[in-house]
Amino acid sequence: MTAEPHLAHRAAPASTERPVIEVRSLWKKFGDLPVLNDISLNVERGKTICVLGPSGSGKSTFLRCLNWLEKPDHGEIFLSGKRIGYREGSDIPMSAKEIAVTRARIGMVFQHFNLWPHLTVLGNIIAAPLHVQHRNRAEIVAEAEALLRKVGLFEKRDVYPAKLSGGQKQRVAIARALAMRPELLLFDEATSALDPELVGEVITVMEDLAKEGMTMVVVTHEMHFAREAADEILFLDRGFVVEHAPPAQFFDNPSSDRVKQFLQRFVR
Amino acid sequence: MALAQGAVATVLLSLAGIAVGVPAGLVFALIRWAKIPILAQIVAAYVSVIRATPLVTLVLLIFFALPGIGIPVDPIPAAIISLSLNTAAFNCEIWRSALNDFPKAQVEAAEATGMSPVVAFRYIIFPQIWRISLPALVNEITLLIKNSPAVAIVGVVDITRAAVRIGAQTYDPLPPFLIATVMYAVIVFVFVKAQASIETAMTRKFDF
Amino acid sequence: MLQEFSIVLDHKDRLLIGLGNTVWIATISTILSTVIGAALAMALMSRHVMLRRAVRVFIDAMRCVPFLLLAYIVYYGLPSLGVRFDNLSAGIASLSLYNAAYMGEILRGAWVSLPKEYAEAGEAYGFHGFKLFHRIIMPSLVLAAVPVLGNQVIQIVKDTAFLTIIAVPELTHEASAIQSMYYVPFGAFVAAIALYWLICRMVEFVVQYTEHLADLRR
Repeated sequence: MTAEPHLAHRAAPASTERPVIEVRSLWKKFGDLPVLNDISLNVERGKTICVLGPSGSGKSTFLRCLNWLEKPDHGEIFLSGKRIGYREGSDIPMSAKEIAVTRARIGMVFQHFNLWPHLTVLGNIIAAPLHVQHRNRAEIVAEAEALLRKVGLFEKRDVYPAKLSGGQKQRVAIARALAMRPELLLFDEATSALDPELVGEVITVMEDLAKEGMTMVVVTHEMHFAREAADEILFLDRGFVVEHAPPAQFFDNPSSDRVKQFLQRFVR
Repeated sequence: MALAQGAVATVLLSLAGIAVGVPAGLVFALIRWAKIPILAQIVAAYVSVIRATPLVTLVLLIFFALPGIGIPVDPIPAAIISLSLNTAAFNCEIWRSALNDFPKAQVEAAEATGMSPVVAFRYIIFPQIWRISLPALVNEITLLIKNSPAVAIVGVVDITRAAVRIGAQTYDPLPPFLIATVMYAVIVFVFVKAQASIETAMTRKFDF
Repeated sequence: MLQEFSIVLDHKDRLLIGLGNTVWIATISTILSTVIGAALAMALMSRHVMLRRAVRVFIDAMRCVPFLLLAYIVYYGLPSLGVRFDNLSAGIASLSLYNAAYMGEILRGAWVSLPKEYAEAGEAYGFHGFKLFHRIIMPSLVLAAVPVLGNQVIQIVKDTAFLTIIAVPELTHEASAIQSMYYVPFGAFVAAIALYWLICRMVEFVVQYTEHLADLRR
């Protein structure tokens, strides 16, 4: 954990004063089933938001709307002041290529890692910077190696994903997302598919990122992480925002019975 | 000697068919995969018809009907067009099944890093599906080679046709037929062997 | 072009004769190649090493030879060994022999992946030897392999077209005859292809229907 690659520019204030992500009244249905009902959220630069809720509450769908992997039915999402999914000042949907440009600014870490099996660890990390951002190869490789050191996997740089443990895969996936120098990182239940003894190594990396000022939206079941690392908690149930509060208030003095009920299951 | 020339013709015709048919099949498969309206339906109809069409009949159609609509065509181009049209349809189905089985999660990961569909296909999807499709593609190649004597009907002299000619001249057709059989076996064997060694090399590299 | 089709329509009798010949040649060859293929599959699964090897060599050889070459060997080559066929029986013999190798391989593949319980249950009820195969194994094999067998039948239908080269009056041969008499290449061969397509759709329909029936009985 020596080299600290290129995190400084992420914490620096952008030209706009607007939040990194602004969500205004998001609605989404799968068929007849409403999954998101009027969700709004602002994420300021450098903040970590944890999205909690029982399974089926819509939290993953919400996260996937933020980088347009799911298309919401109504509502608007702004990334640093620019509307996602539609061309500027119009209701014309973006082309696949235009959406890709937006997505390149948002990193995502998946529950099942989704590493590309035909590329080495290093290959996974440099693929998008190389082929999407067209940055200089030497520079990317140097940065990728620094990121691998940061997640503690430098010695695995030339290994194929099939040889890694779940925790190692997920740390590579985080490095892959960071290599794009994203303005925002999304975590979709990043530790849910891991064996219990491997959760810690991934959580440590995520906590470090939060401390360093990365802007993150984290869907998780790790209550400890939410309490320690989050600036705000967003609690969803059946597609509604039930509670939106700082962690201290959320965990110690929640206003809704639904949250109390939910938290009771995690009390040991 | 004539048999050797026939062997060259068989190999070159098959290679030409492969060179056109394999990439064309991929393009057709992508059209269906991307569900491009009208084009996707046309490809589906084309595949359905070609899969039911004997190569002999197809060669006859191409050779005799193209001049009728103002495109004069010699036997060898007619043979190459027919072999390509034929194998492209089968290759389309092979590529299509690889595309349909490709893990959606990997595509999403590519999308999430900002790869456009073209970039994702070039760097993430294609490097994996060609490997998955290779055994089936080589199998289709061997079928193409075994089907290739059909082109003899418009006068192209391949192995089979050369063997018939020699047999007619010497009044002893069995020896040339048996040599021809061995020749086909060798050609098919080379392709199957090449596929097996690529497979081994790949397994060693990726360890899965 | 429309004119071509009307000429072909005037001579539809010839085309239909060709169609009829193609259908019955393919049908007989399917039946023969399935029966021979079943015997080959039995041999491949037998305990006798020599028998297994011999059949394996035969199947591999068949899978290397183009069908047309085999048809030539049977029609032109065998007479020099004193075995003489007319063109029709040479065609049917080579179609059946050739596709029997593929059928044998298909049935063997289905046999290998057949749950052991079938045969064991059969044995438990006193079936053995040929009766076990005939009553218990074969029906389950055919049912399990129906889609692949269907593909092979389509292959047989298409292989019949090669027989035009040894002048068997099948569909492509008749289409060829019509085209050379009236110079209607487009109409004649497109009509033939349409008829081949119809035959193949029928085969696919039978396959789907059989699978549907099998599903109902499961």
